[in-house]
Amino acid sequence: MSSPAANAPADTATSGFSIGSLIRRPEAGSLIGFVVVYIFFAILGGAVFMGAPGWSSWLNIAAEVGIIALPVGLLMISGEFDISVGAVVPASSVTCALLSGQFGLPAIVGIGGALSVGLLVGFVNGMIVTRTSIPSLIVTIGIMFAVMGLTLGLAVLVKGSTSVGYVPDPLTKSLLGTFIGGMFNVSIFWWMGFIAVFFYFLHISPIGNWVFALGGDAESARNAGVPTAKLKVSLFMMSGFAAAFVGIAQVMTYQSAQVAGGQPFIFNSIMCAVIGGVILTGGAGSIIGIVLGTMTFAVVNQGIFFARLDPNVGSIIIGALLLAAVLTNDSFRALALSYATKKK
Amino acid sequence: MTLNSRIARGLLASAAIALTAGTAMAADIFVIGGKPDDPFWSRVKKGAEDAGAVAEMQGGSVTWLGPQNYDNLGPDAAELIRQAIDQGADAIVGPNWVPEAMDPAFEAVVAADIPLVIYNAGGIESADRLGALNYVGAVDYKSGYAGGEYLGNAGHQTGACVNTLPGAANIEAFCSGFIDGLAATGGNGETLQLPATAYGDATAVAQAVRAHLIQNPDIDALFAIGGGDTSATISGIQQAGKTGSVHVCGMNFNETVLANIQAGTQACAIDQQGYQQGFFAVSILNNYVTYGTTIPTREILTGPGIVDASNVEQVIAGVEAGAR
Repeated sequence: MSSPAANAPADTATSGFSIGSLIRRPEAGSLIGFVVVYIFFAILGGAVFMGAPGWSSWLNIAAEVGIIALPVGLLMISGEFDISVGAVVPASSVTCALLSGQFGLPAIVGIGGALSVGLLVGFVNGMIVTRTSIPSLIVTIGIMFAVMGLTLGLAVLVKGSTSVGYVPDPLTKSLLGTFIGGMFNVSIFWWMGFIAVFFYFLHISPIGNWVFALGGDAESARNAGVPTAKLKVSLFMMSGFAAAFVGIAQVMTYQSAQVAGGQPFIFNSIMCAVIGGVILTGGAGSIIGIVLGTMTFAVVNQGIFFARLDPNVGSIIIGALLLAAVLTNDSFRALALSYATKKK
Repeated sequence: MTLNSRIARGLLASAAIALTAGTAMAADIFVIGGKPDDPFWSRVKKGAEDAGAVAEMQGGSVTWLGPQNYDNLGPDAAELIRQAIDQGADAIVGPNWVPEAMDPAFEAVVAADIPLVIYNAGGIESADRLGALNYVGAVDYKSGYAGGEYLGNAGHQTGACVNTLPGAANIEAFCSGFIDGLAATGGNGETLQLPATAYGDATAVAQAVRAHLIQNPDIDALFAIGGGDTSATISGIQQAGKTGSVHVCGMNFNETVLANIQAGTQACAIDQQGYQQGFFAVSILNNYVTYGTTIPTREILTGPGIVDASNVEQVIAGVEAGAR
């Protein structure tokens, strides 16, 4: 027990870490927030919350909202919002259930159809946002209502009902809608995959810098040769794809697609990104931050049930966290900027 | 005063009924309801038309009047009621969705001496207030009560009502009914309130249920407020490793719910039985207008009906026939 603890300072020293540089990382605020919130609920929730049931409980929540929060956060970094994810989730579930359940087509057709719906909605969002001067907030609200109406209309027309059932084959179910060890939703692993891909995209590939440039100053970015319109359309298509993926995972897990639903993902995904240090005006944020923000959000959401608190208290904590995150983001950013100028 | 004049008044009334019955004989009944393509209302409409088959045999008819959409429900429905009066209805069936907007139209029906039955919404109070013959419909509180009683009688007496829509009056009524129903069998229950951010997110509902079950190992009975919520609740039970020891009843049903009842993962579903609403409202009026017969029972409850393993096959046949 004591030896790793004793080794820890030496390790960090050799890898060139220091408290000072750590705290200036953009994720520092989110990390501190996560640790504080986790300790708070660990004390109230006890051993059950700290054990496998607790971890799987909040990771299951984190995985689904997290898959959507990644591209939504990316869009926010580039200075845009995507509200339509709330309608894409049920649209994708219903498409998948209609194709593979109602019409009995192979699961892959249902999945492909649902993902195409997400990509198409993202494409339309992106085209309208880049071709007109309407803010993306308004565009995606409009598209959200249109997609909601189409989903309801289609389900009632084809099925005569607002819910569509679908029992997936065992292989599809085990890939997309099963619980490993009876409690860890397979979507947690998909989330990890999404994190890896988005991390590469934003922080390693050269396109990542374009995303930051887009949010920082789109005009200059275009002048510098960044294909801004194309990039934005692809970002919207990513969020459509991710929302559609979650819709598919839900129908595989619960074997039933509801026309209504998905609305919570709109604000929850934005909150995860903001708690994770993404700045609403664009130009700043990180994948690790968004992941930490999502984890914090999920811990609060599930922690309240383990801590036997009134669920309304959970909402108050999430609201307070959001405000605290925005405030600390500002101060950490100021700190980071002052450090950078001092170095020069 | 009194006895004699009362008898006289009674005689007069029955004479009047006999007279109308004598002249009308065949009833043209107008039914105001929801959009015919609305899944719930399509079943109500089928019930009304099935009862109308008798009226048609006697030379009468049943006409369904529904709004184009629900954007302006109260005034639109009031307009449909007046339309029915103008078209010479012998009897009218209508739901009292928006009393402020619809009461004047219903009063006009009664003023024109057209027999009226209120159904689906409004309750017996509005039937009494307006002078309607009867009220035919379901009561939210009793639906929850039936679920509590069902699980309690099966020996599952520590319960929780999964409320994903705190603050909605009908949902609160389901939950308080469920808790009272459990209590009537000697059990006890409470409400598991979910935050507003969970509504419509099956994973959030499932995880909340699971956490609650882990923290409260005594619970063996759950009530969900809708078909989708029921599927999520069942998943929560499975993830808590409590399949078989925690039993669920839920409001309403869809094909997934019926499959779960067949598979044994869901104990029961509570049905509001819309078909019955159309069927009995039309029957009561047809018999009254044609033969002068009455139903002295006030407040005809069409729900709750219980769907469980014992009748699920029959329900599935009913779904295929478009009646359930």
